Amino acid sequence: MTSTPEELRELRSAVRGFLEQHAPARAQLTQDATTWKRLTEELGLTALPVAEGSGGAGATFVELAVVLEETGRSLLRAPYLSTVVAALVLQGADDLLPSLADGSAPAALALAGSVRSSAGRLTGTLEQVVDAAEAALLVVAADDGLHVVPRDGEGVTVTPLTPLDGTRPQARVQLASAPARVVGDAAAAPHARDLLHVALACESAGAAERCIELAVEHLKVREQFGRPLGSFQALRHRVADLTVLLEGARSTAWYAARAAAGLSEDLPVVAPLALATCAEAFRTIAGESIQLHGGIGFTWEHDAHLYFKRAWTTALLHGEPRTLRHLAATRAGVLTGGDLA
Amino acid sequence: MTDLPSDIGDFRQEVRSWLAEHLVGRFAALVGSGGPGREHEHVELRTAWERELGTGGWIGLGWPVAAGGRGATVEQQVVFHEEYARAGAPARIGHMGEQLAGPTIATFGTQEQKDRFLPGILAGTELWCQGYSEPGAGSDLAGVRTRAELREDGWHVDGQKVWTSLAHLADWCFVIARTDPGSSRHRGLSYLLVPMDQPGVEVRPIVQLTGTSEFNEVFFDDAVTAADNVVGEPGEGWRVAMGTLAFERGVSTLGQQVGFAHELEDVLRLAQQNGRVEDPLVADRLVDAWAGLQVLRHTALRTLDNDAASSTGVEASVSKLLWAPWHQRLGELAMAVQGPASTLVDGADLSPLQNLFLFTRSDTIYGGSNEVQRNIIAERRWGLPRDSWSRS
Repeated sequence: MTSTPEELRELRSAVRGFLEQHAPARAQLTQDATTWKRLTEELGLTALPVAEGSGGAGATFVELAVVLEETGRSLLRAPYLSTVVAALVLQGADDLLPSLADGSAPAALALAGSVRSSAGRLTGTLEQVVDAAEAALLVVAADDGLHVVPRDGEGVTVTPLTPLDGTRPQARVQLASAPARVVGDAAAAPHARDLLHVALACESAGAAERCIELAVEHLKVREQFGRPLGSFQALRHRVADLTVLLEGARSTAWYAARAAAGLSEDLPVVAPLALATCAEAFRTIAGESIQLHGGIGFTWEHDAHLYFKRAWTTALLHGEPRTLRHLAATRAGVLTGGDLA
Repeated sequence: MTDLPSDIGDFRQEVRSWLAEHLVGRFAALVGSGGPGREHEHVELRTAWERELGTGGWIGLGWPVAAGGRGATVEQQVVFHEEYARAGAPARIGHMGEQLAGPTIATFGTQEQKDRFLPGILAGTELWCQGYSEPGAGSDLAGVRTRAELREDGWHVDGQKVWTSLAHLADWCFVIARTDPGSSRHRGLSYLLVPMDQPGVEVRPIVQLTGTSEFNEVFFDDAVTAADNVVGEPGEGWRVAMGTLAFERGVSTLGQQVGFAHELEDVLRLAQQNGRVEDPLVADRLVDAWAGLQVLRHTALRTLDNDAASSTGVEASVSKLLWAPWHQRLGELAMAVQGPASTLVDGADLSPLQNLFLFTRSDTIYGGSNEVQRNIIAERRWGLPRDSWSRS
């Protein structure tokens, strides 16, 4: 499936329209089961990355990137990102795909932790897993490869935690000799992490753009010294600088999504690069958005802090941008030689 | 170039073969020459190289066939610029004609003007320079004060232009001049084509902080050009000039980035050779420079991929604000990697990395300063109100 620019625009506008109406950012501090049901059943968004033969829509990461920018824009509180990345990771597990596609079995990605695998059973603790309490399936990276564990299965304890970013649930996952199914070898875990990073990059780019929009709306209506704040060059230039950060970051997400869709072969390099660039840009933009809003940006009732907390959480949970940039550079052999042009 | 159509391969091969066959013999000396801060290098030979390119049909690649060009696609033009940079072919001295004067004449000129001027540009035999900026009209181009008056023997031009690249080599200058004496701002300007080889035109080089000169001051003291050497109607010069600026964006960006990648490679190689790459603080800056270059590249590819409906209208400004500061940081990093020795000049000329360091100071000033680009983004992308003091 290759979408035309027109089709991608229609997809974006459909998802944005739905989320603006049913799942605006300020509503994301509480869980809403109806949104997930409509998102998966009516809009069929979880079906996007699943092959048509397995009950999916057979779309690529190019389409997914558009949806993820939009879910980022509204800070959607739902296991959407983790479920669609899981669907891509579990491409070979045909029996699991239909319930991922129809949203009946949301997934969580437990890729960062020390888990031992022995005779088909997993043991270890994953301290902070996003969406684990909301998921039916856990995709777990263990010392020998990638596994799937049912959340309600034997030996699995999931304890919800209180996150700083209230729009993104986290839980502790304890595995005590939990029966698991192998879904990938040792190389599968880094690949899954790359796909997760690209998805988070897209989400961050979408959220960052919304932060600038909110700030611009404020600068247009708020007047001081007898004129709109947006006419002061000091503020206009800050908005322009944030726009440049956004567009550069968005370009890396755009490119990485195409790499994840198989349109180029440099995913291992561009995935961490895209998340480093997008998470860093989102962090800066969300912080600046609070400042550009002035006092109102410091209040609980305004959305600015929701974006700020999501931005910092993304970087703190999934990798400091500087560290990810070094990972990308190491994979590209930047410091050890080779031609760049 | 994984994102370009695969049928581009034949074209890439054609470009590569032609460059391999022609950038030899006396032209071999040109490899890597010219460019920012080094425009003084091999001037006569590079003038001959322009004619070689013209004979090969490589000038006006993207021009419409009707104007004498090859009507190449955007992808083909990108490939040409990439291969040109990859081969180390010399910096062009005919680009003012090819990218600015030619397209402007093709768009706004009369048939007689097209017949007279386009063939010389395409053949690489007539060189052009741009007479826009003035001492009192830099970022604020509408402040132009150069005057022109139509008399029986043609237009008489008086005034001063500044920062005129390649004026000392150019045969012609496209000049924005005020032809309606009582006018102000962007009204009453005309777009004139003025021959450089005449007593009324004096070119004085500006010695830059690099110690070299690529820019000039141009003094018009009763310079004359024929009455029909006005493009568009008299008084319509602003509209024509803005059209020219629109041609300035675009396809050369990816070629420019091949040049940036070569520069970064030089810095990386040096850091490996002298061991500074082992310093984690230097390594961190090298990684940042590499990552920044990827951002530039992905942005250029995304801009090319966008259809018109997805355009934000400020891509050129965003691109400028991304690459110019990046390039400056690269120049600073190049000096840090060389260490204390970078503060010594060996022989008459600056080293390429010293030149990179110094010349990049101009990147954020020319072609619309960074501050002007920020205003463009604030107004066109976000609709923020203009400053109360700024005039239109």
